[in-house]
Amino acid sequence: MASLAEPRKRALRQELEALLGRGGVLSDPDELAVYESDGLTLFRALADFVVFPRSAEHVAAIVRLANREGLPFVARGAGTGLSGGCLPAEGGIVISLMRMNRVLEVDYDNQIAVVEPGLVNLHLSWAVGPRGYYYAPDPSSQQACTLGGNIANNSGGPHTLKYGVTVNHVLGLEVVLPDGEIVWLGGRTRESVGYDLAGVFVGSEGTFGIATRIVVRILKKPQAVRTVLAVFDEVAHASQAVSAIIGRGLVPAAVEMIDQLTIQAVEDAFGCGYPRDAAAALLVELDGLAAGMEVQAARIVAACREAGAREVRAARDEAERALLWKGRKSAFGAYGRVSPAYMVMDGVIPRTRLPYVLDRVNAIVAAHGLRVGNVFHAGDGNLHPNILYDPRRPGEEARVVAAGAEIMKLCAEVGGSISGEHGIGLEKADFMPFIFSAADLAFMERLKAAFNPTGRCNPGKMFPTRKTCGEAGAVAYRPHPIEEKGLAQRF
Amino acid sequence: MLLDKLRSIVGPANLLAGVDLSPYVVDGRTPEAAVFPGSLDETRAVVELAASAGVPIVPWGGGTAAAVGAPPSRPGLVLGLGRLGRLVEHEPGDLTATVQAGMTVAALQSALRARGQWLSLDPPDPGRATIGGVLAANASGPRRHLYGTARDLLIGVTVVTGDGAVVRGGGKVVKNVAGYDLPKLFVGSHGTLGVIVEATLKLRPVADVERLVAVRFDRVKDAGAAARAVMGSDLVPTALDLLDGEAARAMAEAGERGRPPGALLAVGFDGLAEQVDWQCGELGRVTGPLGGSRVVTLPGAAWDALGSAAPRAVDPPAAVVRLVVMPAQVADVMEQAAGAARARGLVAAVSAHAGVGVLTAALGTQGAPEPATVAAVLQEWRAMARAGGGHATLESAPLAVKAQVPAWDDPGAAGRIMKAIKAQLDPRGILNPGRFVAGI
Repeated sequence: MASLAEPRKRALRQELEALLGRGGVLSDPDELAVYESDGLTLFRALADFVVFPRSAEHVAAIVRLANREGLPFVARGAGTGLSGGCLPAEGGIVISLMRMNRVLEVDYDNQIAVVEPGLVNLHLSWAVGPRGYYYAPDPSSQQACTLGGNIANNSGGPHTLKYGVTVNHVLGLEVVLPDGEIVWLGGRTRESVGYDLAGVFVGSEGTFGIATRIVVRILKKPQAVRTVLAVFDEVAHASQAVSAIIGRGLVPAAVEMIDQLTIQAVEDAFGCGYPRDAAAALLVELDGLAAGMEVQAARIVAACREAGAREVRAARDEAERALLWKGRKSAFGAYGRVSPAYMVMDGVIPRTRLPYVLDRVNAIVAAHGLRVGNVFHAGDGNLHPNILYDPRRPGEEARVVAAGAEIMKLCAEVGGSISGEHGIGLEKADFMPFIFSAADLAFMERLKAAFNPTGRCNPGKMFPTRKTCGEAGAVAYRPHPIEEKGLAQRF
Repeated sequence: MLLDKLRSIVGPANLLAGVDLSPYVVDGRTPEAAVFPGSLDETRAVVELAASAGVPIVPWGGGTAAAVGAPPSRPGLVLGLGRLGRLVEHEPGDLTATVQAGMTVAALQSALRARGQWLSLDPPDPGRATIGGVLAANASGPRRHLYGTARDLLIGVTVVTGDGAVVRGGGKVVKNVAGYDLPKLFVGSHGTLGVIVEATLKLRPVADVERLVAVRFDRVKDAGAAARAVMGSDLVPTALDLLDGEAARAMAEAGERGRPPGALLAVGFDGLAEQVDWQCGELGRVTGPLGGSRVVTLPGAAWDALGSAAPRAVDPPAAVVRLVVMPAQVADVMEQAAGAARARGLVAAVSAHAGVGVLTAALGTQGAPEPATVAAVLQEWRAMARAGGGHATLESAPLAVKAQVPAWDDPGAAGRIMKAIKAQLDPRGILNPGRFVAGI
């Protein structure tokens, strides 16, 4: 899509500024560049405007303006997404929700909170923490990512094994539909009238409209937490331990796996207490009642030992537990110690196929002459192979993309999925046929048409690009402007 | 003609017509026929044929929710899934199972339990209710307090659409965000968007111990306060049901003996023996000061009785209504609902999943109330649910009452999107037309 002619752009800028104030509109190329990609920097696209509404009415007015002008628009939270989902793929308006970041209401009697979409995930838990509550879904980016972004992507996190993903915690949404109307989908009660539109909206990657208010459940903090670290000399043994834990009828809050390359990067960067020579480690967390906690922990320890763990120990105190989790949640950042760049993969497989699939993933990446670090939600079979590469070496990025596609095919072949929590976005749109038939995709496109008949709301995402089939992912790397200025680095 | 073609698809033995159709009469409307396909492909062929003939399809599992919804506007074809009753795949290590839609909940649970697992969904009448029907009706039971409803458990679904296409949504893995979440769309869609043929579900391991206990109260108000206290405590119950005095009478046969209480709080726990023991003790410490009796253990059979206590207490009910309100409002709404019936000389029994704010109110037939009287009570109940921040659905009511009180509540502005979805996904309006929300 061609960019707007200057006179029209000036006129639109004036109109947007009249609505949002001068500080609420960006249109200079230098400023727009900050919003040209999300956490997946492989893809870049420039908007004509980035705007910062402060209310649902603002959002609705912007959407109506975009429709009047025939411009595409896309909502954006903190930009921590990993599939290019919030990119202005076809130009137009980026609607940043970052100034709508309030906790509007907490109703402890009914255990719900009403929040705005720009609220940072972790800030909700901070807000309700003093009263003994928390918000359960905890993506690794929870210190930065927003609830609105979590809604778009149906975000997960380590503790979703026991507590479920975002959609399991969302009761209702006030949304601005793609035609500018403000409606409630679901509400404050546990069931709503008619189709579960809130349930369908969550995970629709910004293609059904823009959430402006969110009603979520908040949970009582568990009475007790126990975190166990199991160390293995063989990756296969760690995989088997995951099945053994599940097979013993235990449902831990989280079961995370970290491989050797990742452990070494984490230890170099943060020194969290993982043994550097281990082939893999499992971080297993139990939570719930204090009664019976020792018995459950003993069952976990026994399952890990029987699977071949060389060492199993429980975190002695909250400080050690926090350090172990810091290692897990900071793993992505730690790769900066061992590689100039990496690409995060996100796939899901049946848990029982872990040993086979991990072997194959390592073989695929090695065959492309690359290295891979694995740190992932083993308990629910959600893989995150991180392929390390150097973008300055010609051809290396293309090899990463090729290896990624093979890994996604592998996940599909074993009965899994091409995304567990990062979404399809731009990155995987062309992989959708790996797991869905033409009839499945046609049905989804018709569902999209019910919400978004013009297609102007976040165009170009999720569905295979018919015209340019096979070309997605071919966007060339170039340094980000703030990288060039030495203000940031990739990690 | 149509019937002949249908017979050739499913075989003559699997098509019912004429007097054999009596079990499939809904709101006085007899279907043209009932067909029972034996495979996904036969199901697809039946839908395609009916669609081309312009004959509506009424998907049918065990018939346990057939009374829900607006009266059918025109006779259609009952499409029974009863022959598709197989457990397709169960991999215990993955904690998932793939099931054909016509398998009953009881049959599935017994197959899973044999391997140490279960589906954490406990709708009423599990011996008749089928998996497909439970999903389509979004049926649930007491254990939803901790384990959620069908939307939390369905991870993949195969449907036949109104134009005879086979569509799969979701997948077989427990965590999956690829594409739109079609399983959410089909849960609670009452057969209006597709015929559910197969489902993949998340499972849970069977706990070492499960126990259902009861605490008696003189007043509903006190039991409601106790339920809220439990919610704010360290307890992690699997069920937290509140029954008014009338509904509690239905629990007598299930082992809740003694003088009828004013209200009963039934609480479920599972886990390790020490976890269950500690929680039963703690429950007494939390509820005692609020007027609760000592904690009594109920027999396992009481679980099933709990979910259907209100309608059984007034058996046969004149009408049953499901009220959804904010959890903190449950006791107030419960008392108001019974009061509204009393004010008209009628008896009502009310039970609730107190922690999630879902009540079942059943109106008795003592005094043979006129339809207008029943309708008046139901309208008041709906107004109470709305005042409690929620809504009300008629689970069953005579045709003459449904003519005066809409079966469904108003979906508000979202109704426009619901109609758009129906128009997009079932453009010929073949699937269970006219029975759902907003005239869908």
